[in-house]
Amino acid sequence: MIDQDVKYLKFKTYLNTYCPHCHQSFNIEKKDIRLLSFKAIFKGQEIDVILSPYLDVFDVDTTVPILEGELLDDLICPACKKSLINKDIICAECGSPAAHVIISALSKLLPFYICLKRGCEWHGLSKADERRIKLKIPRQEMPEQDQTLRIQNHQEVPYGYTSEIAELEAGRCLQCKAPKCVEGCPVNVDIPAFIKLMREDDFDGAAKKIKERNVLPAICGRVCPQENQCEQKCVLGIKDKPVSIGCLERFVADFERKMDLVKTPMIKNKTNKRIAIVGSGPGGLTVAADMALMGYSVTVFEALHELGGVLTYGIPEFRLPKSIVQFEINYLKELGVRFELNHIIGTLLTVDELLENFHAIYIGVGAGLPMFMNIDGESLGNVFSSNEYLTRMNLMKAYKFPEYDTPMPKGNKVVVVGGGNVAMDCARTAIRTGSTEVTIVYRRSRHELPARKEEVHHAEEEGVKFKLLTNPIRYIGTDYSMIKGVECIKMELGEPDDSGRRRPVPIKDSNFIIDCDLAVVAVGTSPNPIIFNTTPNLKRNKWGYIEVNPETNETSIPNVYAGGDIVTGSATVIQAMGAGRTAANAMHKKLSKS
Amino acid sequence: MKEFNKINDILDFAIDQEQEAVDFYNNLASKLANEAMRKVFEQFAQEEMGHKAKLLDIKNKGIFDISSDKIIDLKIADYIVNVKPSPQMTYQEALVLAMNKEKFAFKLYLNLSEKAPGTELKNFFVMLAQEESRHKLRFELEYDEYVLKEN
Repeated sequence: MIDQDVKYLKFKTYLNTYCPHCHQSFNIEKKDIRLLSFKAIFKGQEIDVILSPYLDVFDVDTTVPILEGELLDDLICPACKKSLINKDIICAECGSPAAHVIISALSKLLPFYICLKRGCEWHGLSKADERRIKLKIPRQEMPEQDQTLRIQNHQEVPYGYTSEIAELEAGRCLQCKAPKCVEGCPVNVDIPAFIKLMREDDFDGAAKKIKERNVLPAICGRVCPQENQCEQKCVLGIKDKPVSIGCLERFVADFERKMDLVKTPMIKNKTNKRIAIVGSGPGGLTVAADMALMGYSVTVFEALHELGGVLTYGIPEFRLPKSIVQFEINYLKELGVRFELNHIIGTLLTVDELLENFHAIYIGVGAGLPMFMNIDGESLGNVFSSNEYLTRMNLMKAYKFPEYDTPMPKGNKVVVVGGGNVAMDCARTAIRTGSTEVTIVYRRSRHELPARKEEVHHAEEEGVKFKLLTNPIRYIGTDYSMIKGVECIKMELGEPDDSGRRRPVPIKDSNFIIDCDLAVVAVGTSPNPIIFNTTPNLKRNKWGYIEVNPETNETSIPNVYAGGDIVTGSATVIQAMGAGRTAANAMHKKLSKS
Repeated sequence: MKEFNKINDILDFAIDQEQEAVDFYNNLASKLANEAMRKVFEQFAQEEMGHKAKLLDIKNKGIFDISSDKIIDLKIADYIVNVKPSPQMTYQEALVLAMNKEKFAFKLYLNLSEKAPGTELKNFFVMLAQEESRHKLRFELEYDEYVLKEN
C-alpha cells in the first residue's frame, strides 16, 4: 500500500521521481520547464510520455495521441527499459493497471502509483492516498459440494460464501461514482450501495437495500446469469475478474433468512383496487410484490398445484432449493398477496371473466409448451422434451419415487440435445438418477455454448460428456418403439452470414450413431395456447407470443398486461422480473388516474 | 418429363412454378384464423411474387448472371419431417413447409441441369437451382435461429 505520508503532500508539490528498479530519475528539464519523462507501450508501439511533476497538475503529452479512456499497455523506465507496472496494484478509481515509481518527499522515499488510463486523472499524482490504489484481492470462489458426493444426491452444489469470504469479496468493489453494474441489472438494484453496507458489516441493511428493487434476491443470487448482466459491466472486470455480485447477493439474502431478519413492511396507502396475476413465476411474483407494496389487493392464479412457475418445475433442486422459493413466496403472502392454486386461466376462468372482477390483469404464464426439432423418431418411447423431463423430476419429485407417485424417466445411456442451461440441468439430473453415460449433443462449438460457464463446468466435473459440433438427425427405435439410438451428423461452422454469425453446416457423410435408451430434447419452447383459446382478441406475433407496448407491457386488451417468456420467448428469471416491474409501474400509473 | 429446348421454355416453366407457389400460399393464408399466421403466409406469397418478377425481368431483358457466390446449405430441410398444410399451422410448421417446397424446387432444377442439352441451358438451370437454394436458406436460417435455439 502507498505510504500514508503521501496524503500530507501539499497541492502542486514538486515531486522527484525515481525508477524502482535502477533508481534513475524520471525528472528532466527542457527549456527551463520541469517534466517527467517515460517511455510507454501503446497499441504495441513504443512512444514517449511526458507528465507533469507537480501534484494535482494534469499536463500530459505523448508522441502519439491517446484518447480519453484509452489505456497504455505499459509504462517503461527510459534508462533500464524495465516495466513499471506493479501487478499487485490496480487503480481504485477505474480498475486499470497502475505503474509504480518512487518519489522523494517529506524527507523520505515513498512508493507512488500512476494509473495507466488516460482521463483517470492520468498521471495519477493527485489525491494520492490509500483510496486511489488497492491491493489486488483475487475474486473469491464459492465453496461447493465435492463432485463425487454431489452426484449421489440432489442437494444444492455451492454452499455459499462465509461472512469472511463475503467481506473479502465486498472489499474488491471499487464503489464507482457512476456505477455501470446498476445499468446491467434488469431491475436496477443499487449494487454499490448494498456492497458498501456489507463492508460496514451491515448485512441486514444490505439485504434490505437489495429488496428495495428485487423481491427475490436469494433466487436471483443463484440463477441469474450475472456474468452477462451486472458483472459484465463491472469496471473491475476490464483488467481483472469482476466483483462476484451474484454470490454477494445470495450471501446477504441467505443471511437475512437464516438470521430471521425478514420484516414485512407496513403498507400505508391501501387502495380498493384489485389486481389479478396469471402465473406465479418470477415475473408474476414481482408484479404481485410491487402492487401489494403500493396498496393494491393482489390475487395470483397458478395452474399447477405448487407455486413458483419455472422456479419450481424447471430449475432442479441442486441449483435452486425449493425451500428458498417457498420462503420468498411466503414473504409475498405476508405482504397480503393471495394465491389460488390449480386455476387454469383459459378454462376455469377466462381473461374476460377476470376483467369483470379485477381492475387490471398481468399475464406471466411463461413459454411452457415444448417444441421439438421435427425430426424422425420423436414419438418413440423415452424421447422426452426437457419440459416434461424436468417437470417430472422437479415438480413431481420423480427421483423420490415411490415416496412421490411419479415414475422416474431413467436411462443408462442418456443423450441430451442442446447446449443451454436447461440442457445442463437435464444432463446433471440424469447423472444424479444413476445414468452411467450422459452425453450432451450440441450443434455449435464450445465457444458458442449458451449455458452459463459455471453450469458447463459443473456438468463436466460430474461426468457429463460433450459431443460438440454435432446435430441429431433422427431417433432410432427398437421393434417395440422404444429409443435405442440417435443418428447424428458432424457439423462445421460456416462462413459468417450477413448477421456475422457462423452457422453450423453438416459435414457430408459424417453420420454416426450414439447408443442410448433415453433422450431429452432441450431446444426451443413455445407459448401454451390455452389462455388464447378463450381470448382470441389478445394480439400475438407469428410465434404465438403476446404483443405488448414495450413502454408499459400493456397488451392489445386495455388493462391486460403481459411480460416474461410469454412475450419474449425463453429468457432469464431477472428479465422476466424486469418486465414485471415495467408492467407494475405502468399499471399503477394508469390505475392511479382512474 | 417436359422437354426444354430454349431458355424461354425454361423461364415459362419456372415462372409458372413461382405462380403456383404464390397461389398455394395465398390459398393457405385465406384459410387461417390466426391473423399473425395469415400474415406470415401472405408474406411468403409476396416473396414468391418477387421471385416471379425477377424471372420475368430476365425473360424481358434476356440477360442473366450465373452467380459465383457459394450459398450455404444448412441442410435442415434434409432431415426434418415434412408437414401437411392445415388451418391450425404454427409458424414452425409453416417454416418446415416452405423449406421443403424450396428444397423440392432446388432439386428439380438441379436434376434438369444434369439432363439439359448444351452448356447454356445447363447453366441456366444451375442459376435457377441456386436461386431456389437461396430461398431455402432464408427459411433455414429462421428455423436455425428460433426453432433450434437452445434453452
